[in-house]
Amino acid sequence: MKKSYYLFNPGRMSRKDNTLQFIPVDAAGIEGTPKYIPVESVANLYAFGALDANSSMYNFLGKEQISVHFFDYHEHYTGSFMPKDYLLSGKVLIAQTQHYTHQKKRLLLAQKFVSGATGNMLKNLKYYHNRDKDTSIQIDRIEDLSSQIWETDSIEMLMGIEGNIRITYYSSFDTIINDFEMGIRSKQPPSNEVNALISFINSLCYTLCLDAIYHTQLHPTISFLHQPGFRRYSLALDLAEIFKPILSDRLIFTLLNKKIVTKGDFDIQLNSCLLKESGRKKVVKSWDERLSETIMHRSLKRNVSYKHLVKLECYKLVKHILDMEGYQPFKAWW
Amino acid sequence: MYIILVYDIEQQRVGKMLKLCRRYLNWIQNSVFEGEITEVKLKELLATAKDIMNVHKDSIIIFSSRDEKWLEKQVIGIERNELDNIL
Repeated sequence: MKKSYYLFNPGRMSRKDNTLQFIPVDAAGIEGTPKYIPVESVANLYAFGALDANSSMYNFLGKEQISVHFFDYHEHYTGSFMPKDYLLSGKVLIAQTQHYTHQKKRLLLAQKFVSGATGNMLKNLKYYHNRDKDTSIQIDRIEDLSSQIWETDSIEMLMGIEGNIRITYYSSFDTIINDFEMGIRSKQPPSNEVNALISFINSLCYTLCLDAIYHTQLHPTISFLHQPGFRRYSLALDLAEIFKPILSDRLIFTLLNKKIVTKGDFDIQLNSCLLKESGRKKVVKSWDERLSETIMHRSLKRNVSYKHLVKLECYKLVKHILDMEGYQPFKAWW
Repeated sequence: MYIILVYDIEQQRVGKMLKLCRRYLNWIQNSVFEGEITEVKLKELLATAKDIMNVHKDSIIIFSSRDEKWLEKQVIGIERNELDNIL
């Protein structure tokens, strides 16, 4: 399986002998020994540190269908280099647009996204409830709210319920996570350790979904739950909703409760909290390991990795918009 | 599958082989490569390799296993190139 490469060291990436060459540069500006990355094994690149590159490298990456995701100094997701679409399908695009413009069809898909996300959130809460973390208040409240999902008749109403579910869900984090307090969800900048982790891992989850969409015929800007806006791939946001509880949140609980990431991995300033480089590396490493873990897929009857699950979700979506098979959001069963 | 590829190739052709293998596998030592590769990609690699090599003089040996976990690796002395996808 192709791998993601995460670049933390500043350095220069270039095309050399039809493959990728990375020359790390240290703080004094002295070049290290070049490292060759086998281009045929690269799924995508994540640039966290300062990356020097020229257009011939990007032309090459484009040809090899490798995308590059960029993050700034504060580990916010800033954008992606996406190679030219290679899986084009006018039929899917038209069908996707029709599903967006048709009020009822769009609402149905949006409701399914929310119900999928809610189901996965409940799974997390119940898992910890069985492990002596009292989350019964949140479970009851979310179950109550989730019954209203199918009664909504507009996207705005649905978003309102979704928001309430998420607030309730986040309020259980303080119970689930030992030794850390989250309080309320805050972004830009995150106010404490838990919020910093959520922001960072969610942006990784978003790029994961974006990448999966790129490798299917779906168009990443036409979304159903989120408003398709300008300059962003909102369909990836829709998909990320479903996978955030399974991939991001579970990882956060593990990282903190097993003390893999500790207080020392964060840089706490006046009113913001960010991950230090050491912390980021640990998070990315666990994230990457998590993605390659496999589960036995019930209907496919074979082992699939978490990473592949996201792509399967895209295929289901394509089938739905082409009216071949109704879309059922992925729900964790374990 | 996970493979270890070693080659023994005459000097005037060795550079080409090195460059070819770098595209598909991780270099770990002079004329030794290892890495995860699909069967199709390996066929592709070998087909190109055959064009480069002189089959009467050069050789390539491939050790393969189903997965990296079935491979125990010990490094004695310095590790020339650590394999990591977090750089």
